[in-house]
Amino acid sequence: MSIEAKKQIIDVGDGAAIPRKSDRGLFTAWRIAFFGAIGTISYLAYSKPDPYLEILKFVPDGIAVTFKVTLGAILLAIVIGLITGLGRISKNRLFNGIASLYVEIIRGIPLLVQIFYIYYALGNIVKVPAILSAIIAMAVCYGAYMGEVVRAGIESIAKGQREAALSLGMNGRQAMVHVILPQAVKVILPPVGNEFIALLKDSSLVSIIAVADLLRRGREYASESFTYFETYTVIALIYLIITLFFSKIIGVMEERVSVNK
Amino acid sequence: MKSLRIMTAVLALGLCVVSAAFAAPKKAITVASDATWPPMEFVDANKKVVGFDIDFINAVAKEAGLQVTVKNTAWDGIFAGVEAGQYDAIISSVTITPERQAKYDFTIPYVQIGQILVVPKAEKGTKIADLKGKKLGAQIGTTGAMEIKKVAGVELKTYDEVGLAFEDMAAGRIAGVVCDEPTAITYALQKKEYSSKFKIVGKSFTKEAYGIVVKKGNKDLVAQLNKGIAAVQKKKIDAQLKKKWQLK
Repeated sequence: MSIEAKKQIIDVGDGAAIPRKSDRGLFTAWRIAFFGAIGTISYLAYSKPDPYLEILKFVPDGIAVTFKVTLGAILLAIVIGLITGLGRISKNRLFNGIASLYVEIIRGIPLLVQIFYIYYALGNIVKVPAILSAIIAMAVCYGAYMGEVVRAGIESIAKGQREAALSLGMNGRQAMVHVILPQAVKVILPPVGNEFIALLKDSSLVSIIAVADLLRRGREYASESFTYFETYTVIALIYLIITLFFSKIIGVMEERVSVNK
Repeated sequence: MKSLRIMTAVLALGLCVVSAAFAAPKKAITVASDATWPPMEFVDANKKVVGFDIDFINAVAKEAGLQVTVKNTAWDGIFAGVEAGQYDAIISSVTITPERQAKYDFTIPYVQIGQILVVPKAEKGTKIADLKGKKLGAQIGTTGAMEIKKVAGVELKTYDEVGLAFEDMAAGRIAGVVCDEPTAITYALQKKEYSSKFKIVGKSFTKEAYGIVVKKGNKDLVAQLNKGIAAVQKKKIDAQLKKKWQLK
């Protein structure tokens, strides 16, 4: 065996990135979309600074708010989802019942209604800042979906894994934490990534409660300058760039996890 | 078979001629209004769009020989809609401003109003500048929002509807709302759930006039509406309507 061939085997054994099928070649769909969007927005800002550059200058704090809401909500939603998912498979009837009720109710109410409800209902009891109640509303909603993702992930792990762990002398909790959950993460990660992207886009709904996110900043600009077409073009491109950026990160994370399979 | 086809054609042609002859000479137009701005335009208990503006446009249309359908449209994008030709005109407490005039055509002014500040009863400040460091609310894209924006040091929060701004003030999240005086009076003094909580401070601090908005270049419609407005004003119908809707 030549040295090169040996090296290749070692590389693979070390877990170096194995290119995914879709990542081969210079012109992947992702690259065309991502750099296309960046190119378009730069070209527009350069060739027609008024209004495109003006819009770009107006919206950055909105992007920051969108990030804040999305990241806050996703972290909270993962925690809620994990608890809910465990509840859904729990043999404890009360825990199971509460988790199931939560999923059934929240899944059945539109997010926009929940945002309104949490904002104005909470407002009557405690003074919660708009951003915080936006994060809570998004997390409560996505936590229910995330719970189902977690449940499906855990249920996808073969029963024998748990039995093997128990026969090694682990108790139920240890088996879950050390054997089942680490394997379930691989299954859960792609749909969680999906939820993340969906949440990021749905965060535009919080503009209804006067949270100055990307969409609201855009609408504020448009409503004063009357440049609706131009503004929404820019807003759409920014959302596209952000979601593509995150979908790439999630893709890389998936790859990392799957290499260890 | 052929004769049948000819007969149908003749019948269709006949129908056209007849309907043309009997069609009302009135020109039908659709007018958009954001019905969240009492007492100018709002949805009443019977789910009907009512208010001063609605009565006014109907009176104008009668004088101008137009047939009007009012379409309840969200404020955000109401201008984009007239530009895209989804309706022919807007009557929705639209202040005539130079920026708006550059983009759209306006009729002659039909009502004079001003912006005014509404605050919780405990508030001591009497103008926007007194509320530095606090959050003030207004409906998105209104002259009220623009007035708040002019004052440095206060944070503007924009809402889709002015009613949501008042609701947020009732919840204690913002320290004031700026909107047109008639609407402020409705929310601060006449709405049961708010009249014990809010007060209007000072006098209206802008001089504005409402106009009906038409797509840029639609001179015929502007002329027709202007004719109607002039007739309504001459017959003092607008004064009656002001009385009916309790405008100053």
